Amino acid sequence: MALLEVRDLSVTYSPRDSAAVRAVDRVSFEVHDGEFVGLLGESGCGKSTLGNAVLRLLDRPAAITGGTIRFDGQDVTTTPEDDLRSLRWVDLSTVFQSSMNSLNPVITVRRQFADTFEAHSDALGNDLDVDARATELLEMVSLDRSVLSRFPHELSGGMKQRVALALALALEPRFVLLDEPTTGLDVVVQRDILDRLRVLQARLGFAVLFISHDLGTVMELADRVMVMYAGEIVEDQPAAEMVTRHLHPYSAGLLGSYADPRDQVVEVEFIPGRPPDLSQPHAGCLFQPRCPVAVDACRTVHPELLPASLGQVRCLLVEQSGDARVVLEKAAELRRRDQVFAAGLSERADAEPVLVVDGVSKVYKTRRGLNTTLTQAVDDVSFALRPGQVTALVGQSGSGKTTIARILTGVERPTAGSVRFKDEPVDHLGRGALRKYRRHVQLVFQDPFSALNPTRTVAYALSRPLRNHLGLTGAEARARAAELLETVGLSPADQYLDKLPHQLSGGQRQRVVIARALAPEPEVVVADEPISMLDVSIRAEIIALLDQLVRDRGIAMLYITHDLLSARLLADEVMVLNQGVMVERGPTLDVIAEAKDPYTRKLLAAIPRPGARDIA
Amino acid sequence: MTTTPETIDTEALRVTALDADASSRLPGWFVILWRNGKCRVGMLMLAAFIVIAVLAPVIAPYGPRLDEFGASEGPSAAHWLGTTARGEDVFSQLIYGARTSLIVGLVAGVLSTLIAMAVGLTAGYLRGVVDEVLSFFINLGLVVPVLPLMIVLAGYAPVKGLGLIIIVITVTGWAYGARIKRAQIITLRTRDYITAAKFAGDSTARIIAFEIVPNMISLIVVGFMGAALGAIGAEAGLAFLGLGDPQTVSWGTMLNQASLGGALTTGQWAWLVAPGLALALLITSFTLMNFGIDALSNPHLRED
Repeated sequence: MALLEVRDLSVTYSPRDSAAVRAVDRVSFEVHDGEFVGLLGESGCGKSTLGNAVLRLLDRPAAITGGTIRFDGQDVTTTPEDDLRSLRWVDLSTVFQSSMNSLNPVITVRRQFADTFEAHSDALGNDLDVDARATELLEMVSLDRSVLSRFPHELSGGMKQRVALALALALEPRFVLLDEPTTGLDVVVQRDILDRLRVLQARLGFAVLFISHDLGTVMELADRVMVMYAGEIVEDQPAAEMVTRHLHPYSAGLLGSYADPRDQVVEVEFIPGRPPDLSQPHAGCLFQPRCPVAVDACRTVHPELLPASLGQVRCLLVEQSGDARVVLEKAAELRRRDQVFAAGLSERADAEPVLVVDGVSKVYKTRRGLNTTLTQAVDDVSFALRPGQVTALVGQSGSGKTTIARILTGVERPTAGSVRFKDEPVDHLGRGALRKYRRHVQLVFQDPFSALNPTRTVAYALSRPLRNHLGLTGAEARARAAELLETVGLSPADQYLDKLPHQLSGGQRQRVVIARALAPEPEVVVADEPISMLDVSIRAEIIALLDQLVRDRGIAMLYITHDLLSARLLADEVMVLNQGVMVERGPTLDVIAEAKDPYTRKLLAAIPRPGARDIA
Repeated sequence: MTTTPETIDTEALRVTALDADASSRLPGWFVILWRNGKCRVGMLMLAAFIVIAVLAPVIAPYGPRLDEFGASEGPSAAHWLGTTARGEDVFSQLIYGARTSLIVGLVAGVLSTLIAMAVGLTAGYLRGVVDEVLSFFINLGLVVPVLPLMIVLAGYAPVKGLGLIIIVITVTGWAYGARIKRAQIITLRTRDYITAAKFAGDSTARIIAFEIVPNMISLIVVGFMGAALGAIGAEAGLAFLGLGDPQTVSWGTMLNQASLGGALTTGQWAWLVAPGLALALLITSFTLMNFGIDALSNPHLRED
C-alpha cells in the first residue's frame, strides 16, 4: 500500500460571480514511502490546488467535489478537522513559496521551534531539549546555530526559507509537500537549498511531492515526474525516462525551454497559446488547440491516462500508434518551424555608441544616529550601448545592477564619472530636460503584475507616453496604440485595447509593458529582468520578441538578469557585476564558455540540466 | 470597523469592484455592499432617513417652529409626540431634524475627506520636508483634544449657524483620515506603474489623480463614512451643550431644549426619547453599513 493514495480527486471553484471552474479533474496518483515525486505544469493548471487539497487546506470557494485521498490508509477527505491536527506536521508537513513570510515576526527563531515542539508534545514527549534539537535541524539546512537567537527580519529570504524547511522537518514527517519552495529566491540560493533538500530526503527518507513550474529543477531532483495540464495529469514517468523519452507533446514543449548556454548553438522552444478556460466544457483533448501534432480525432475524443512506456500518458496519438516516439519526432519537426528561438546566428556590425557610461561610481550614505555608513554600490564601471545590440548585465541581488539602471535613466546621479547620451550629459539634467531625455530611454519592468495600473485599461497605459512625448491625441493615439500592440504580438489589437490588466495573462501583460516602453520610439531600452516572473514555457517567447524589436528598430538595450541562458540567447555582450565592480566583460559566448569569475561559474552551475544527475 | 486600514489591499479591492461592474448593471461596489445582510439593513435605514429628510414638508404635520399649540402637552392624536415648552410640535421637529443631521454629515464628511486627501496625498507622495511639515500638522490635529477645541471654537466664534458648526467639525476631524491616506499612498507610490507613468512623461498631479487615487477609492469611502458619522455625533453633541444655532431645528437642539424645558419633570418622555432614538438609529445605520464596507475592504469577510 502506498503512503499517499489519491483516487479520482476533483476540486471545483464555485465563485459567486462567475461560472464554476474544475481546477482539478479526476486526478489519481500514488506517492510511496521515501519517494520524491515532481508535479509540473504552467501557472493556473491546478498544481497548487491539488497540493492544498492533499493537505485539506482548501478554502471557499474551492471544495473537493469527488474522489478520495488516503494517507497511510486513512481517508483524509472525511477526517474531522480535530483529528487532522494530529496528522498535520507530525506526518504531513509543507513548505510553500511564501513560507518564509509565515514566520512570526515578533519572536526569535528559537521560539518558533519551541512553539512547534510544544504544539506536538504528544508526539515528541515533554523532556525534549529544544536548543539541541533546533540546532540539529538548522545544521541540516546548513544554517549556523546563532540563527536561533535572531528575529525573522534579521534573516535574508533564503535563510528564512531554510528555517521554514527546518521547521517542516522538525517532527520527522513521512510526507512533505513542497509548493514552489524556492521560487523568488536568488538562483544561486535556490540551487543551494534544493541540493540540500535532495541530500536530506535521501538521508531521512521522507516522501516528497514537489510542485514547480520549473521543469529543469524538478527533473533533476525527482524520482518520478507527473505533468499536469488544465487540471488533469497528462504524463507520469520516471524522471530519467521523462528527460529522454517523454511522450506527451506538452511535456516535450516544456522540456524544450531548456538548453546549455555553453553550447555553440543554443535553441529553446516555447508553447504558443494559453491553457483552456476550465469553466467551459471541452469535448476533445484539452491540449489540442496548442498541440503541434493534433489530428482531427483530438478535437472530439477526450484521451484517457493509459499505461505507456514505463509510466502513463494521456494522448490519443500515443494510444493509437504502437511506437510513440514517431509521434514526438514529428512534433519536434513541426515545432522547429515557428516555435524555436535560436541564439547567435547573426553577426552584427559595430555601430556608434548611443549611450556611454564612463567611470561611474555611486556611494550611498546611510545615517543611523551619529554614525554615517558609506556603501559603495557601483565602483568605476564603464561601458557603452550601441544601437541594434543587447548588452547583458549579470549579477547577484545587491551587486549594483539596479543602481546602474537608475543612473542610466536619470533617476539617480552618479557620485563620480559621467553618463552621456549622444552629446548630452545625463548626470546633470534638470527636471524639464530629464522629461525630454526619458523620451529616448525607457524601462521594461520585472514584475508584469505591478508594472500596469490595475484600474487603467491597456489603451490608457499606451496613450500616455504617446500623448506626452509624441503629442498624439484621441483617435490618432488609439490607432498608434493598436499598432504597438500588433508589434508586440497582441493581435487583433482591438481585443486588447479596452482590457484591464487583470484580464490578461502574465505574458500578455509583459507584452503590454514592452509596447508601452516602445511607444515614445526610444533609442535606449533598459530591461530589468523582464522574464524572471514569467512561466518557463513562455520566457523564450518574450526573449524572441525583445530580440526582434532590438534588431528591427535599432534599439540599444541593457538587459539586466541573473539568468545566463537568457543572456546567451539575447545578448551580444555580457558584463558580470560583483559587489559594484565589473569582474568580467566580453562577447556573450566567450564570457559564458570560459567563465573566470567564481560568481559567473556559480551562476552557470545553478542552471538546471534535466537528466544531468543520471549522466554524472 | 475591524480591519486596520493600513493593511487593506485597496488595489485588489478596486479590481474586484471593476469585475463586479462587468457582471451586473449596478456598480460593483454596490453589489458587494448589498450582498451583506447587515449592510443591506443599514442602507435601507439610511435610505429611509434620506427620504424623510427630503420629504419633510410633506410628512411633517406642522411647521417645526410653529408655536401656537399648548405648551408641554403629552402625546395626543394631534401631536403624536406632544409639544415643547414653547408650544411647538415635537414630531414635526423630529422630521425636520433629520435634515440637519444629514446635511452636517454629508457636508462636513465631504469637506474633511477633501482636506484629508489633499494633505495626506501630498505628504505621502512627496515625502521629505513637505512630509515632515504636513505630518506635524496631522499629528497636531490628532493629539489636540477635540471636544474642548470644538467648544472653544463654537463658543467664541462671532457668528452662529449651521455653517459654523460644519466648519468647526471639519477643522477638528480631518487628521485621522489624512494619516490613513498618507500611509496608503506611501505603499502605492513605489509601485512600478508609478515609475512607468513618470517615464511616460506624466506630471505629479496627474499621477496622483489618475494613477493613485483610483486605487484607493475604497479607503476614501471608508474615510468619508467615518467622518460623516463623527460629524453627525459632533453636531448633536455641540447642539445639546447649547453651542449650536438655536434657530436651527436639529435633534441636538431638541435634546437641549427638552432638558432645559424640564421634559423629565413634566413626564414628557417622548420629547426626550424621540430625538435620542432617531440619532441612535441613524448612527446604527452607518455602523451596519460599515460591516459591508469591511467586506469591500477584506474579501475574506464577504458572505459568499
